Amino acid sequence: MDFTLTDEQELLLSSLDELLERECPESYIADLDLHHESATSFRKALHEAGFMSLGFPEEYGGMPCDAVTLVLLAERVCRQGLNNGFGLELLQAMDILEFGSEAQKQEILGLLANGRVPFALGFTEPGAGSDNSAMTTSAVHHDGLVTFNGTNTLITAALQSKYLLVMAKNPDTDDPRKAISMYLVPMDAPGVTTNRLEKILWYTQDSCEIFLDDVTLPEEECLVGVKGNGFKQLMRNFEMERLVIAATCLGQAQCAFDDAAAYAAQRVQFGQPIGNFQLTQLKLTDMAIKLENMRNFVYKTAWMLDRGLPLKSQGALCKRYCAMSGFEVADDALQIFGGVGVTVGARVSRLWRDLRGHRFGGGTDEIMVHIAGRQIVKDHS
Amino acid sequence: MKIVVAYKWAPNPQDLEVRADGTVDEARGKPAVSEYDPVAFELARRLADETGGEVVGLTVGAAAIDTPLARKAALSRGLDRLVLVADDALAGADSTRLAAVLAAAVRAIGGVDLVLAGDSSVDVAEGQVPLTAAAQLGWLGLGRVTAVTPAAEGLSVERDTPAGVAVLAVRTPVVLAATADAVVPRVAGMKDILAAAKKPVEVLALAALDVPAPAVTLATLGTAKPSGGDRRAVLFDGSDPASAASQLVGALRSAGVL
Repeated sequence: MDFTLTDEQELLLSSLDELLERECPESYIADLDLHHESATSFRKALHEAGFMSLGFPEEYGGMPCDAVTLVLLAERVCRQGLNNGFGLELLQAMDILEFGSEAQKQEILGLLANGRVPFALGFTEPGAGSDNSAMTTSAVHHDGLVTFNGTNTLITAALQSKYLLVMAKNPDTDDPRKAISMYLVPMDAPGVTTNRLEKILWYTQDSCEIFLDDVTLPEEECLVGVKGNGFKQLMRNFEMERLVIAATCLGQAQCAFDDAAAYAAQRVQFGQPIGNFQLTQLKLTDMAIKLENMRNFVYKTAWMLDRGLPLKSQGALCKRYCAMSGFEVADDALQIFGGVGVTVGARVSRLWRDLRGHRFGGGTDEIMVHIAGRQIVKDHS
Repeated sequence: MKIVVAYKWAPNPQDLEVRADGTVDEARGKPAVSEYDPVAFELARRLADETGGEVVGLTVGAAAIDTPLARKAALSRGLDRLVLVADDALAGADSTRLAAVLAAAVRAIGGVDLVLAGDSSVDVAEGQVPLTAAAQLGWLGLGRVTAVTPAAEGLSVERDTPAGVAVLAVRTPVVLAATADAVVPRVAGMKDILAAAKKPVEVLALAALDVPAPAVTLATLGTAKPSGGDRRAVLFDGSDPASAASQLVGALRSAGVL
């Protein structure tokens, strides 16, 4: 297999490096993390340089972009130490560009251009998540209007977003597969209230509960795509989302590894750098093996997507492996740093925290087994 | 207005290793547009957009500077077309020789109003090439340029000199060397990179430029690492912060820093 980057990929990564150096240095990321703020100015810079419209149709200012290039970019941004730094908003926008009305498309593209997070994904409920059949948030259609009632929880970046892309059930439809539709609900609509959830990771993205109490909106403004097709529409970009998360884990784990290896080379104990001791070398070696495996997994999965090959269990396997291994790499990196690693301001502590979140964000390690395991058994039946 | 951006395709210094004897190992140096040159690309593009002009990239050097990647890297930075002089006879050439070839290439391009360059190259950093090229061309040459805008009879050029900021009315043709912080250059996006492959490139033969062989060539007799300074590695006990701060100030005063 040829792992050589194309000239275009090399130049794009080189451009991204310039942008990262200028707009997203470690001091910027550390400050965002400390103050629990979103990387708005960096996203705006990404947009101005054309990175935030890669993969969009040309009529919306975008241009075609393959999955391999997208994961290379996501990996590089996250290698800078920024969690969820690239790709996820782009995928979100794809949902609207594919299924939304013209007005919805223009609104979401405008928000992206200003570095804003266009919307949060309202999918998880107190009694539902991966088990979408247990979803209870309702959307009642009447007189050209839709009235929403229900609760979403653990919704990422909702307080930073202008909209909630909520999945809700029509209570009059019996077939659960046809009951769920996708809606774009303004976060400031009457009846929408939020409760911020304090958490120990992902400080650059808030999490909250969202309560929808008789939120009533015109159907033509809020319905995204076809009524009853919400789940199908949502699933459309899930494979790519898992892949972007895997690339995110790869980049952050590489960042932790680089920091730890550099620290091991300069931290002196017993008269020599701790990198000279075999126990440290064993850690670094196993970390390097995991990174190599993660990289191969991510690139191959992207390559399969680009060739239209059926992914089957590949996306879930890739996401599970990279989330788990990425955290293991960060954990070993933290161990190499010792006490210094957990002091406030040490980058490795942030990477450790943020990588832990990917073991459940975008689907838990366990649900990935559920997805992949079923497929594996089916393939061998 | 026809603007030439003279730039260098040089190894990235972050990839280089300085050997113990002070010589630089460039084997792992990934080449790129020299770090101080994108500012010249940006100034040129803005000026051309304002005046309806053309921006022509120009670089000279060994044959290795002419690769598809090198062409696209330059052309994706806002050039309309590219001119190259790539010949192994220029490998290791000193700045006077390179400036002579650049000047000859500018003449060959013809009708050039302005040559813009970075202040110096990222690898050699002598800062001599732009002004030597100006001398070769017989044109006015100005360094330390921080801004350039079109004016009624030529250009308005702002320079940041040790004596202060000077704003000059300059007639063309002229060679300007811009400071690294004159403007924030845009980064090339995917559209720019893909478009680069379709832009025209002209390779000029060194022999055809008829540049006289240098009468004197440079011979490097020795190299040494820059002095690392006299590090004293003084440690203060930080258990009493006020006392530690006072000791630090005292030490800096005695060292003559404060």
